[in-house]
Amino acid sequence: MDTDSHGRPKGEPVNRRALVWLLAFLTLAVAALALLAARPLLGEAHVALIFLLVVLGSSAAGGRMLGITVALAAFVVFDFFFLPPFNTLLVRNPFDWLVLVVFLITSIVAAQLLYKARSERAAVERAEALREADKLKDALLASLSHDLRTPLTTIKALAHELQPLGDERALIIEEQADRLNRLVTDLLDVGRLDGGALHLDIQVNAVDDLLGAVGQQVAGRQDLDRLKISLDDPASLSFGRFDFVHSLRILGNLVDNAFKYAPPDSPILLTGGVEGKDVVFRVVDAGDGVPPDERDAIFTAFYRRPGLGAGAHSTGLGLSIARGLAQAQAGTLVYRERDSGGTMFELRLPAATP
Amino acid sequence: MANQTALIIDDEPRIRRVVSNALADDFSRVLEASSGAEGLRMASAERPALIVLDLGLPDAAGASVCAELRTSSNALILVLSARNADREKATLLDAGADDYVTKPFSTIEFKARVRALQRRAKSTAASDATIIQNGALKMDVEARTLTRVGVPVHLTPTEWDLVRVLMSNAGKTMTHRQLFAAVWAGRQYGDAQQYLRVHVANVRRKIESNPLDPRYIITEPGVGYRFARPAEG
Repeated sequence: MDTDSHGRPKGEPVNRRALVWLLAFLTLAVAALALLAARPLLGEAHVALIFLLVVLGSSAAGGRMLGITVALAAFVVFDFFFLPPFNTLLVRNPFDWLVLVVFLITSIVAAQLLYKARSERAAVERAEALREADKLKDALLASLSHDLRTPLTTIKALAHELQPLGDERALIIEEQADRLNRLVTDLLDVGRLDGGALHLDIQVNAVDDLLGAVGQQVAGRQDLDRLKISLDDPASLSFGRFDFVHSLRILGNLVDNAFKYAPPDSPILLTGGVEGKDVVFRVVDAGDGVPPDERDAIFTAFYRRPGLGAGAHSTGLGLSIARGLAQAQAGTLVYRERDSGGTMFELRLPAATP
Repeated sequence: MANQTALIIDDEPRIRRVVSNALADDFSRVLEASSGAEGLRMASAERPALIVLDLGLPDAAGASVCAELRTSSNALILVLSARNADREKATLLDAGADDYVTKPFSTIEFKARVRALQRRAKSTAASDATIIQNGALKMDVEARTLTRVGVPVHLTPTEWDLVRVLMSNAGKTMTHRQLFAAVWAGRQYGDAQQYLRVHVANVRRKIESNPLDPRYIITEPGVGYRFARPAEG
């Protein structure tokens, strides 16, 4: 149950709340009158227990504030009518003060405990509901992935079978199937990032290993020798604490962009090293750079930079996914200005000392 | 390759057709099953040499079908997965699959994977050798020595075990879990997985001419490591 800052059920009409309060005080009055009628026969414990019951009932029905208010009211009624001298707030026997104070403390603590137990149960229920929802999202994305990729496999394979027959349309069909598959991958990733269904496998990984894996990923390219991979300090082995697959995806995406947007034959640098508490990876190319007013926008989903020709093959999701993946593993991904011009992206992830 | 049976377990008739066409050159008989239960039945009745298993079966979770196939069959198991989840691949390799292909795949890629699997299956049968040569590396299992172009490579005992396991399984992707089981048997897993990656980084610095462009120990992201076969360069 959602409650507001006073512990009252949220969204409950004011009328109903007023009614609960009225009922609580009415109950207190009826109890007091009944007890008053039997006053000569009663000890203090009888009165205290009956009032405690009223306080608990009130906080169960109306929340913590009502419970405490009723407790205070009961405290006054108890003193006024049931502790001699009657009908004054004075107390003759000093031990009666003890009874009064203990009654007040017990009722307030009880109201408080009841409230806490309720809100804890509500929190557990909420967490469970969230976990269920995440599981559902994950299952949904998995079956969506299967349903989308299975027909793509058939299309791609059939197009492939047609190619030896010399129909160049088969090649185009296969290319387009690949493109659709990239879009499906990106959209599913956006879904996972937004829906909180992203799996993280944070491990101690070597900077060497991640850089090598990026190199391996682009190994099929014909202009492969444009990419120069190096360590800031080749003599030392450094490690970070990150998810290897997601980080590879980020760097792979940045390097792909560099191949796509930087001038043909211009060099692309990928470097890695440790700076303070971070491992830092940089992708630098000789492109035109990004103007200051677009440096945040490029990380938004579906943003396409005006005037960039390669846009037709881009989903406009790459950088936004990359930044989401960086943030999910306690890292950052930013664009950095370079004095010597060109484009530079910087990925920072937590360093580790194994 | 003649006289061999392959079994395709997939609920999509079109995928079965595509896979069946791709296998026709290498297998004399290609059987098809449209559910996990039917696949398990056919696997034990027909004793196929290769099983192609789709993970998206309606009647059973792929990993459990895979594990069940493994208990009763020593066929090569190639898994088709529509997810790009590398964690899932590691789970499947741990469950006894020999390799996996991610959808959508091309027929060429698929055939290449099948052939590589068969080659590997043949060669591992004969690899109880005490001297393993791989490129410039030469390992003497009994003398516990490793040389690179004739020069001894100094390895710590753990690094030696790691390299031995990888080299004697050359060409096969070893999951983090499998490597750990083979090298660190007896210790706590979660702990040592981190050491595994650190040891691999150290070993690469000793045996690779460029650790940023490894030619021997290849990373399979999110899954594990694979020692390249000489032919892979």
